[in-house]
Formats: sequence, C-alpha cells, structure tokens
Amino acid sequence: MLPPMEIDLDSMRRAVRLAGFDWSDAELEAIRPILERTLALLAQLEALRLSDLEPATQYRMV
Amino acid sequence: MAELGRMIAKKEVSPVEVVRTHLARVTALDGKLRAFITVCGEQALAAARTAEAELMAGRAAGPLHGVPYGPKDLYNTKGVRTTGGSRILADAVPTEDSTVVARLAAAGLIVLGKLNMHEFAYGPEGLNAHYGDAMNPWDGGAHRVAGGSSSGSGVAVAAALCPGALGSDTGGSIRIPASLCGISGLKPTYGRVSRAGVLPLSWSMDHAGPMARTVEDCALMLRAMAGYDPADPTTSVLPVPDYAAALTGDVRGLRVGLLRAHFTDVAAAEVRAAVEKAAKTLEQAGAVVDEVGLAQIEHVPAASFAVVATEALAYHAEWMRTRAADYQPDVRERLKLGAFVSGVHYVRAQQVRQLVRREVDAALARRDVLLAPATPIPAPALGEKTTRLGDGPSDVRSALLRLTRPFNFSGHPACSVPCGFTSTGLPIGLQFVGRPFDEATVLRAGDAYQRLTEWRARRPVLA
Repeated sequence: MLPPMEIDLDSMRRAVRLAGFDWSDAELEAIRPILERTLALLAQLEALRLSDLEPATQYRMV
Repeated sequence: MAELGRMIAKKEVSPVEVVRTHLARVTALDGKLRAFITVCGEQALAAARTAEAELMAGRAAGPLHGVPYGPKDLYNTKGVRTTGGSRILADAVPTEDSTVVARLAAAGLIVLGKLNMHEFAYGPEGLNAHYGDAMNPWDGGAHRVAGGSSSGSGVAVAAALCPGALGSDTGGSIRIPASLCGISGLKPTYGRVSRAGVLPLSWSMDHAGPMARTVEDCALMLRAMAGYDPADPTTSVLPVPDYAAALTGDVRGLRVGLLRAHFTDVAAAEVRAAVEKAAKTLEQAGAVVDEVGLAQIEHVPAASFAVVATEALAYHAEWMRTRAADYQPDVRERLKLGAFVSGVHYVRAQQVRQLVRREVDAALARRDVLLAPATPIPAPALGEKTTRLGDGPSDVRSALLRLTRPFNFSGHPACSVPCGFTSTGLPIGLQFVGRPFDEATVLRAGDAYQRLTEWRARRPVLA
C-alpha cells in the first residue's frame, strides 16, 4: 500500500518540480485546499484490491 | 435537421434561404446568448450556393445536404480560426478540417460558425472568461448555465440558431448541455468517431458526437461522421450501420435496466420523478424494465480524475510553463492538479477502469439499454457552487459530471434526450446507455421515447 501523499508546501514544491513545472508558493497555496480534497480522493484508489487486474486502455482494437 | 433535409431535397426551400434565415436569427439573438465564437456568414452562404447548385444538378450528397450546423470550437475547420475557447489559440487558423468536419462537408452539411465552449473543454458548467458565458435559453428568471463543455452547441440548438451541432464529451460535455438545454446529444462508443483534428482534453476519455433537437437528427449526423480513420488509431474498423433505418419506433421486448443506486436515487426529486415516469412510458409501450445497480461506479470519481488530470496536463504542459496566466482561473487550477497525480495512481485508475467496464458490460449482457438521468439536477444558476442531491450536499461541478462520466470512463455509448421540465420550466435529461458499438439500439430507444412524448417540441421563449 502506498503511503499517503503529504501536502505541506515543501512537498508540493518538490512534486511540481518533478513534474517539470515552476509555480510560486502563492500559486501552490492557492490550490492547496482543492489539492487536499483531491489527494483524499486518490487515496481511495489505494484501498482497492487491484493486483490481479490488467490496466485497461480504451483501444478495443475492434 | 431531417425535416430541413427533406424540404431541401424536395426543393421546397433553398439551402441559401435556410442559411440566411439562421444567420439572421444569430444576428438577432446571439448577442445575448453567446452561443457562437465565430460566425462564418460569407463562407456559409457560399457553401449554401454550392449546395443549391449541386442539388439542382441532381448531385445531393445525402439526407442532410444543404443543412447548416455548428461545430464546437475545438474541431479544426480549414481557414476558420479554432480557438478551443481560449485566448492562447485566439488566432489559430487550421490548414485542414478535422476528419469529422470533412466528412460532414462531404455529406453536404454547411458550417454556420464555431460554437462557444468551456475553455479547452475543461468544465461541465460551460463557462468562458474570454468569449463570455453561453446563456441557457431556458432561463427561469436567473442567468442559468448552459452546461458544458459544449455550451454553445447546447444553446445554439435549443434556441434554433442552428439545427444541429458537434460537441465533444470527456466527462459529459455533450450530454450535460443536452440535458440542461433540453435537446438530444449522443456520446458514441469510444472509437466509433474519429478525434483527428479535434483539440484533446484527455485522449482516452474524449469522444466526438452530435447534438441536435431530435434523436433522428443525431442518427443522421452519426452516420455521416462515424467510421474508421487512419488518422485516429483508436477508431474501429467495424462497419457503420444506417442508424436512421434502425429508428423503428418499436420498443416491444426492449430490455431496459433502470439504474437506481448512485444514479436515479441521488437525483433531485423532480428529476427522479421524470426519469421514473419515462421508465413507465417505455414499459407501457412494451419494454421490459427492471432495476440494476453498478457498485463499482463509486470508484469512478477518483479513478477518472487521475486519468483526466494527468492526460490534460500532459497536453497543456508547454503552455502551462509559458502562458499559464492566459488560462481562465478555474481551468488553470484544474490543470495544475495533474502535477500531483503519480504514475502509479494513473495505472491503478486504469485498473479500476477494467472493473467498471466489466460491470457495465455484465449489466448489458442481459439488457439492451440502461436508463438513468443525464444530470441529477436541472440547470444551476450562474455562480451557484453547491447543491443538494439525494445522498447529501454536493458541489455543482461534481453533481453535473456524476451520472455521465462513468460512461466516458467505460467507453459505452450514451445519449441524453429531454424527458420533462421542472416546475420552474427547466429541462430534465434522460440518459440511455448501450453496449459498445450498439448505437443503433441506443438511438432506437431514444427515438421511440421521443415519439411517445412531446418534450422535444417545446421551445424556450426568447425575446
């Protein structure tokens, strides 16, 4: 099970840098509330038993 | 569209008259409605004259020859700017038509103009800070949103500014404005219609589809649009049926599964009542209706968010580095969230996709279509942020997406048709969901329902 993502400012800075972006602390603080809700949403995925399921794609090849 | 096509074919009316009439209506009404970003007056009239000449020479291209329509402004149109509803692409003029626009041109349809939308298709409300918010013509005393992201498409058809439109649907962006504006809209099966030349939001969730007053019109447009396209590797090689021929009006023996938990039961009371009444109408016409649940649907918000957020930011990455200030604020903030979704989350989301797809397939193994509201609420007022659903309070954005997004995630075809009005005169949308590549049954069910009811005939009162 993945550890929950931290949401302090430093973690946010690191995450956006890894993703290739450079947003100011003010920009990051502005999205922190919705990010916290978003991370809570993503945490739901970690609780599911999915190990025997192959990821789907939309390419049905029909 | 079908009716206009018949009149044009019989030479009861000229394509030039039809285009002129619609252009005049756009001039009279669109200053307030803001359905259009670009009006192609001269080009449309020129195309209409060509269509008239072709008709007189006995070379009509099909049942929609000479009929005008409007593509959402993310479909490339050669020589006509394609803005994506954005400032960033305000002056972008494609050198080629998108595949779908080219196919509709080959079928004789005429582009009247480019339709307004939520910026870059990233919003179910249909708001646009650069070109103005398209206004729901069913305004019940307050400025109501049209729904999005194909807001201009919904408004233009509802207000009869053009008889048909193209929308795109990533989480509900055809069906939400169709529901809120009281028209018909179809999200086909993923892979049924080419996305080549259509600005993407999320490649694995985007679907191109028709919006019109009737299901019959949607069927005619789909026949002209659909089919394999080498420019879009996700398109299917399955033959394209004659969808209009499938509209028999007969639902005897049609097996309908009414989606209760997570769908009808969470809707506002008037929406719930209208959908239940629609199920009864179908049953009285001979359909066999039972109730069905989709338990895995509760995972769709998290999983589809992971997919859309990462795919959208991947597409917008360069602009978000260099022109972030040029996005409208809500779109910019939504795009930023994609940076916090890990690759592992994305893969897990795709595993959940498998779960959801299997469950919807299983429900449809013993039924022909599933039935649910298209949106759990009617059109909210502009600026309204929260609403109340059957299972508690919700933000408006999530509420609008809730009942449509599962079928973007699974890829099944789904259409929205009007099924009633609230006590304050706002449209209510009914959603039919079908088996992959069985648009014919989805359209047959929707068309039959429309023949049994009068909802599609109501028009908004416009000044």
